[in-house]
Amino acid sequence: MAQPGFVPPSSADFFFNPAVGSSILATKPVMLLLFSVILISAFFIVSARKAAVVPSRLQFAGEMVYGFVRDGISRDVIGEEFQRFVPLLFAIFTFILTNNLFGVIPLMQFPTMSHIGFPVSVTIFVYVVYHFVAIKKKGLGRYLKEMCFMPGVPKPVYVILAPVEFLTYFAVRPLTLAMRLFGNMFAGHLLLLLFTLGGQYMLKSALFVKFFSILSFGLAIGLSFFEMGIQCLQAYIFTLLAALYIAGALADEH
Amino acid sequence: MTTTDDGAFWTIIAYLISGLGFWGGLGYLGDRYLKTNFLTVLGMGIGMVTGLYLIWIRFIKETPPTK
Amino acid sequence: MKGTLSIVGFGLSTIGPGTATGLIFAAYINGVARQPEARSILQPIAFLGFALAEALAIFGLVLAFVLK
Repeated sequence: MAQPGFVPPSSADFFFNPAVGSSILATKPVMLLLFSVILISAFFIVSARKAAVVPSRLQFAGEMVYGFVRDGISRDVIGEEFQRFVPLLFAIFTFILTNNLFGVIPLMQFPTMSHIGFPVSVTIFVYVVYHFVAIKKKGLGRYLKEMCFMPGVPKPVYVILAPVEFLTYFAVRPLTLAMRLFGNMFAGHLLLLLFTLGGQYMLKSALFVKFFSILSFGLAIGLSFFEMGIQCLQAYIFTLLAALYIAGALADEH
Repeated sequence: MTTTDDGAFWTIIAYLISGLGFWGGLGYLGDRYLKTNFLTVLGMGIGMVTGLYLIWIRFIKETPPTK
Repeated sequence: MKGTLSIVGFGLSTIGPGTATGLIFAAYINGVARQPEARSILQPIAFLGFALAEALAIFGLVLAFVLK
């Protein structure tokens, strides 16, 4: 029997055929996205509907997440004006967390954010918000001046510094925000795929090699828990950095 | 605070990337159109120094060393 | 197997800065833990070390793309 050899997982494994018809809107990631929106809405509507002074277990869980975003991220980072941004940050946090956790939940096992389009669209939202906030507060001219021309530098040096400064704030910082989330989810999912497919392949090989497939599957399960940690951490970091950028836009000077 | 520290790390990385990217990219384009071969290295040098200088101004010089 | 050798080179070039960043923050955390009031003195130094170490990693990243 001709062994085809082990085929390592590649980026092609991240693309799915549409479930219904041929529209790109019917693929697994989009389905998961819609499901996550329904899930989050349902959870928080149910947990907040029968709000009582002595909270039920469900209400407590919902309030814990909300309190974490409001006090732990928003108030610590943004300061006095934090109340305005809590809904945005809370939505971002729960949305990313749920979509990331789909990566380890059995039957779904696909982190939506490992498609670059989803982190980018969330980032564009944050990008528009924090530039809008800054321009509204300071005016376009002052905002650009504060951003590109910091005090305490001899004038000719600005020719070298200003474009780099501009590029950092307008392109690289939001880009790294999206890339970090995408990269972590993509690499994590690839890693799990590698161990699972490797175990599967070794299970079909010679008897001696079969033994090692247990190791591979075990490692895949262990790494799933590790991934879960990373997924929570990435949702946190994304929200934290979004809050930091908004705080930087609100601050009088950098 | 640890939270502001975290922001500073990512901003440092962003500065380094954009410094190297901008001036190195200009040098690369210059090499392509002028048919030379030293501008990329020169641009990357300038970009790296620029990035480090900006980090120096933003995060190191401003922080007062006394308590 | 296919791929570019540049990526392997980039992987190798991140070992040094990775180790360096770890050492820098180990020392920084140690210092702050022993003497919390020294934080404002240590923080700029830690940032400087981090920036210098990270510069090398990003240099490797750019070279991986530039060199053919």
